[in-house]
Amino acid sequence: MDLSGGFGARSGGGVPFREVTALESLHLGGGDEFRRMVPPENAGGFTALLELPPTQAVELLHSSSSSSPSQPTLHSLGTLAFPSNSVLMERAARFSVIATEQHNQNGNVSGETTTTSSVPSNERIKTEPAETETCDQAAVEEQNNRCGGKRKDFDKKVKSSTKKKNKSSEESEKLPYVHVRARRGQATDSHSLAERARREKINARMKLLQELVPGCDKIQGTALVLDEIINHVQSLQRQVEMLSMRLASVNPRIDFNLDTILASENGSLMDGNFNGTAMQLAWPHQVMETEQSYHHRQLQQPPPQQWPFDGLNQPVWGREEDQDLGNDHNSLMVGAANLHPNQVKMEL
Amino acid sequence: MQPTSSMKEEFLKKWQMGLQIYRPLIDNTSVSERRKAIKLSADVAMASLRRGTTCWSRALIQKTATEDNFLVRQMLSGIKAETLMNKKLPKVMCHRKIVRRSKKILMRRKSKSVSEEIAAKARKLVKRKTQGLRNVVPGGEFMNNDVLLIQETLDYIVSLQTQVNVMRSIVDAAEAGIER
Repeated sequence: MDLSGGFGARSGGGVPFREVTALESLHLGGGDEFRRMVPPENAGGFTALLELPPTQAVELLHSSSSSSPSQPTLHSLGTLAFPSNSVLMERAARFSVIATEQHNQNGNVSGETTTTSSVPSNERIKTEPAETETCDQAAVEEQNNRCGGKRKDFDKKVKSSTKKKNKSSEESEKLPYVHVRARRGQATDSHSLAERARREKINARMKLLQELVPGCDKIQGTALVLDEIINHVQSLQRQVEMLSMRLASVNPRIDFNLDTILASENGSLMDGNFNGTAMQLAWPHQVMETEQSYHHRQLQQPPPQQWPFDGLNQPVWGREEDQDLGNDHNSLMVGAANLHPNQVKMEL
Repeated sequence: MQPTSSMKEEFLKKWQMGLQIYRPLIDNTSVSERRKAIKLSADVAMASLRRGTTCWSRALIQKTATEDNFLVRQMLSGIKAETLMNKKLPKVMCHRKIVRRSKKILMRRKSKSVSEEIAAKARKLVKRKTQGLRNVVPGGEFMNNDVLLIQETLDYIVSLQTQVNVMRSIVDAAEAGIER
């Protein structure tokens, strides 16, 4: 998230939670921060709300062990606007959301395993719900200031939370847990809340998938999107088969030796700036050259005429790679060397 | 998230390593054998990029291990090979006929309204599609969790993209060279 710029100056190390006096003055300034914080990646209505408190709440959880890079940005937020109101604390304990998994996974789409956050100690739990509640409210306020049409929802939510504050629920547990803000008219037992959190997670990921697969943005409805995803995956798999077939039918020697040769010119391929014409001119040069001078030349010298046209790439990298691989390849290449030049000369 | 160049480089390196394993067996001159070799080494290279963190990569490695055990063992470092090949996730066997029959009985008892019917049909459709997705993604049968399934699909698509990009550029280079 790009919030570190705004918060970097203020992220102190471990400001204890209970220092209200010094921090209340920061509350006003905190409003701006919240506003800036509000647009998260998945900007659905409820999901945005869901995103906001979790990040703050996670920050609060980790405030004492502020090691991870993204979290110090929110660190100062957690210390703002702190009421020592027990009623609010109770409400917060019931209704705010910490989707730690969600927070983690929004950062790691690449599939890293999301280890649940460390178990918060008892003391942190007591202070933390209060923070989340006020942060929630402040965040919710901001959210609603921005989207004026949602003001009604906000009022309803406040009402619902006040209504339900007297009911007891077992939502505040020690392990990473999900705080959900209950909407009006919706059940607040733990099952449906958990299910709702789960559904939000699924929807968030479906959005990511929609962005990834081309042409999925316009489609409405889960089933059709899933259809598109399945088609995309199948087409990619078929492309892999086609390409391997093409590569296999190119030439029995070249496809295996191709890679060692390409090791030296890796940069140009990787950037995808595969300039067809330039490559076609330079490529056969190189092929013939290496085949003919096979016995004499080491692979460590990439032919000079190659480099001019890929000025944007990392020639340094290419050369290093070359030297690394050269040693491994020589032993293998020598074995095939005898057959190699003859056959290639015939074909070229 | 699009494939990064570092991913592509890593994939290429690993793929080359895999292809070199086949080089001594240079007598596999039939096109289909070569194609199979290329594809298998590419698949293992793609899966090993994730180093066993994702479900699909493990399942893919297991699948290629059934076809060419030697290749897999050579391509992955020793320790990983053993753990990846032996571990199998618990598969929940649901006998679909029984499930379907019981669902039909349940459905008969419920009173239906039009909107409920439509919702139920939509849900059925979505379920069918997710089952289709499970069939396509390697190791999908082990992902009973929908969240996990979608996450794995995301990762799998990105990896497939890198694989396709790298292979395509190599094939283009090779064919350009041949045409001369």
